[in-house]
Amino acid sequence: MPFSRSPLKVHQMIEIPDLAAGGLAAGTLSAFVLAGGLLSSRRRGARQQEEVAGLRSQVDAARAETGGVSRAYAAEVSHLAQRRVPAEATRAAHPHVQVPGPLHPDLAGTELGAGLDGVLDGVAAAVAQERKRVDAAARAGMRGATREIQAGLYRLQDQLRGLQQRYDDPELAQTLFALDHENEQSLRRAQVTAVVCGAWVGLAREESHLVDAVTGGQSRLVGYHRVRIHNHLETGTALVSHAVEPVAIIVAELLDNALRHSAPDTEVVVNLERAHHGVSVTIDDAGVGMSPDERAYAQRMVAGTEPILLSELGDPPRMGLAAIGQLTRQFDLSVDLSSPSPYGGVRAVLLVKNHLLSRIDPAQRPPAAAAPRSTRTAAEQPVPEAVPLAPEPVAAYDTGAISHEPAPDGDALPQRRRRARAALPAETAAAPARTPEESAAALGALQSGTAAARSAAPTEGNEPR
Amino acid sequence: MTGRRGGRPLVPAYLSTGGVARPSRNSLERLSVLTGGGGPEPAGLPAAQHALLDVLDGGSLTVVETAALLELPVSAVRVLAAELIDQGLVSARPPIPVAALPAPDLLKRVADGLRALKQ
Repeated sequence: MPFSRSPLKVHQMIEIPDLAAGGLAAGTLSAFVLAGGLLSSRRRGARQQEEVAGLRSQVDAARAETGGVSRAYAAEVSHLAQRRVPAEATRAAHPHVQVPGPLHPDLAGTELGAGLDGVLDGVAAAVAQERKRVDAAARAGMRGATREIQAGLYRLQDQLRGLQQRYDDPELAQTLFALDHENEQSLRRAQVTAVVCGAWVGLAREESHLVDAVTGGQSRLVGYHRVRIHNHLETGTALVSHAVEPVAIIVAELLDNALRHSAPDTEVVVNLERAHHGVSVTIDDAGVGMSPDERAYAQRMVAGTEPILLSELGDPPRMGLAAIGQLTRQFDLSVDLSSPSPYGGVRAVLLVKNHLLSRIDPAQRPPAAAAPRSTRTAAEQPVPEAVPLAPEPVAAYDTGAISHEPAPDGDALPQRRRRARAALPAETAAAPARTPEESAAALGALQSGTAAARSAAPTEGNEPR
Repeated sequence: MTGRRGGRPLVPAYLSTGGVARPSRNSLERLSVLTGGGGPEPAGLPAAQHALLDVLDGGSLTVVETAALLELPVSAVRVLAAELIDQGLVSARPPIPVAALPAPDLLKRVADGLRALKQ
């Protein structure tokens, strides 16, 4: 250490003996001091180096950790993009598809996890919205097409029935009957498709006998020979005009289901019965029945509480149950499929509530010739007031039944005479006035129908995102 | 109210005969006269055959009149009537040829003559 020796030499030159000891002491002291300082500075340096090294390793560790985290982030995001989002999109159409969770299970509950789940929710909402929009567009297209087809088939039906009236050659008539039946089936398909697509039933009917509506529904099917209708209603039990076609469609679809799922040598039994709240149409088949899952699905479809998407009806689309669901919702009818039939198959019960029922005087307008008669005997039938029964049932057919009557007395030739409708008291011809309850029920039905249509409108999927 | 059904019939004609348009006998013409037996109707008849017997009600009607009353095509009524004839519930006779119809004038004169005899 050269710089510590130089002050010692200066003192030696001035006073060597006196100063020698002091100088030495001072030198030693300063050396000690210097050495001490040196040591402490060395120690400090070492400590700092350690700290630096510690910090450096921490920085390295932190950097490594950051790299790991960002790689994990990248992996998580690419997992989201490649697996979870497609699965979520698929799940919109197939609810049984499982959406995989994040790669790191401990991500759940963190901010990142919540963010990623938010992405999935957004995708699900957008896909659902898009499905509704596409479905509504498809339905609108189908509606337009089926409406045209339906109108064309009605025109064809008019032509065929005109020909049936005009020509009675058996061979030609046979062909016309077959064509008429084919036409009815096509018409049924077009009509059901239109109804599922949200269209009106497509045909305004007047007040009709309930048994006519049921028989009309029966006539639209291939296997109508296998249907046995037992009519236990009072003669004259009728449907208000707007319920006629819906009931015919529902009965046709329920019967089609029953015929389709039972053996060709079994019968499908229909019972029309009076219930407290209306009239029940019970359809029993002796088929294989439904599994609980199928029953639950069918019950959900016919209840009509959920909006129907065309894309959920399968391929080929099962329109029947969906159409029933639409109609029950629109017309306040109810269909129940929940109980098994005593014949082992399916029992379907259509309940037509009182406010959809009315009465037609069977003497004024008898039911169709092919409609099964009531099993009630005349004694059980309540005789409607103010309508005196005609002396002979023939007079029920008021379009000019002709009979041979003897000449009254002497004066004229014996003549074939029309049974005069005019012979009946005039007041019987007047339609009975509606009671306030009936008017209220009709208006209530109108109101509930309007409300149902309004509440159904937002499900069309046209709302902005 | 005329009582006639307005609009489109709910129940098509083929249902009344189960889709059959060829009658079991070819003797029935549009103006053949059907006469109901008037006896009790057997149980288990198809609905449309019941309706036909109801319309006849023991009396007589031509095929075409029956068809109009039942609102069915003549071809369907011929099938129904033929089945009922086969079961002996209805009898039919051929239409009276137009040429053989006596003139109303002649009948009137005969009636007048008879009345004159009576007095």
